Amino acid sequence: MNTQALGVEYYLTGMRAALDDLPPNEVAEIMEDVEAHIAELSSELGENETLEQRLGPPEQYALELRQAAGYPPRTERLPVTTKKQLLTRPRAAAWGLAAATGITLLAGAAALREPAILLLPAVILVLSLALVNDRGPAQQEIMNLPETIRLKKWLTPEPGTPAERAITYLRSLQPAWWLARAGLLGLGAVLLAGRDILGFLAIAAVAVVSVFAGPRAKVDRRWLWFSLPASALAVGLLLQVIDTTADQLAYKSSPSSYSGPILQTYENIYVYDENGKLLSNVTLYDQDGRPINAREGYTGCFEPGNGREPVIPANRYPRPQVDYENGRCYTVEPTVTAPSSTSSTAPPSSGSATPSSVPPTSVSPSN
Amino acid sequence: MDTSQLLKGVLDLAVLAVLRKDDGYGYDVLRRLRAGGLDEVGDASVYGTLRRLYSAGMLTSYVVPSEEGPHRKYYSINETGRARLAESRETWRSFASTLDGLLEEVAA
Repeated sequence: MNTQALGVEYYLTGMRAALDDLPPNEVAEIMEDVEAHIAELSSELGENETLEQRLGPPEQYALELRQAAGYPPRTERLPVTTKKQLLTRPRAAAWGLAAATGITLLAGAAALREPAILLLPAVILVLSLALVNDRGPAQQEIMNLPETIRLKKWLTPEPGTPAERAITYLRSLQPAWWLARAGLLGLGAVLLAGRDILGFLAIAAVAVVSVFAGPRAKVDRRWLWFSLPASALAVGLLLQVIDTTADQLAYKSSPSSYSGPILQTYENIYVYDENGKLLSNVTLYDQDGRPINAREGYTGCFEPGNGREPVIPANRYPRPQVDYENGRCYTVEPTVTAPSSTSSTAPPSSGSATPSSVPPTSVSPSN
Repeated sequence: MDTSQLLKGVLDLAVLAVLRKDDGYGYDVLRRLRAGGLDEVGDASVYGTLRRLYSAGMLTSYVVPSEEGPHRKYYSINETGRARLAESRETWRSFASTLDGLLEEVAA
């Protein structure tokens, strides 16, 4: 098996060398056919038979193919291209894809806060794909890079080993992952919908296209430039959702309760009925049933003991006014002068509106 | 007489003919040609011919993934290809009958 695979590689390398004066996209298309041919043929070979015995040397195969295809006779390559180049376009594209996937994974974990961060991997992807888009769906040059071959070898362990079984099993789950990926991306898009409409549209589009990208990438490797980063983004989003949920759970269980939104801008709230009567002991809640709390520390009066004002619950209005005098805090009757002065719908400003039901509660001095 | 020389001129026609009914990938086409009696057709010639017919716009291609090994590129004949096939068939028929006629005279 191994010597057979080696024979195939050797033969194909010889063919590529014999065709390398042709345009790269043309060679890529030819090699797509030829690879399938050589692979199928080598599986039919007898025990001691070689590809050369069946087909002749690769150079001759290439020559015959050129003649039949009507390509010009082989010309010598320019000396520049015979040099072994380290930074070829396929290599740059492969590393661009790897880098963009990595960045997307990291960026995905922050994408809900700042979706624009995804523009960076997107630009890398477009540029790296542009380098090799004309090399055809098989992207054979990338597949033949030493690093790709090493990666492939690493991903295909010896048959029968647990690692091989695990990878085979994971491969069988691929279609399920394509759906899960679309679901995760869709979730990310929905979470963004309220805040960032462009981010929402972008991620929603990725979610929709990702359903097709999975199977397409099996046929046309260029789709990997979409499919791999989409997976990374989905995983990144998943990590972020887990992270956020964990944070919220931690919030809920912690004793220093986060008990609802805080109205940072108001120090106090006065509620009047239709007759202009000041209502007392009104408790306010938002649409989720969480208390609406005015700002803590609105008087600058903290009890040194627990650092909180002596007003519990914080969403009961009007809150008692606390005066600060001689180093001590006193709670006094609410006054209604402030809200009355501004608008025509304001209630009568008479101090008599002060409700009797709120007696001046005296709070222990805060020392 | 060396049939491979004869084959060169008519391989286009033969390849179009075996793709007339069913699409096929390279090795398929090769097998069909051999099964049809063209034992001496060279592997590389068939692949080269497929490329040329494709470049000339007479075939379309699509890739079918394969569980093991490389993907298979299937070729199918399009309208241009069918028109060429019909035209070449007529040319071949008249050529063959002309040659038959000449050979009859020789035999007679």
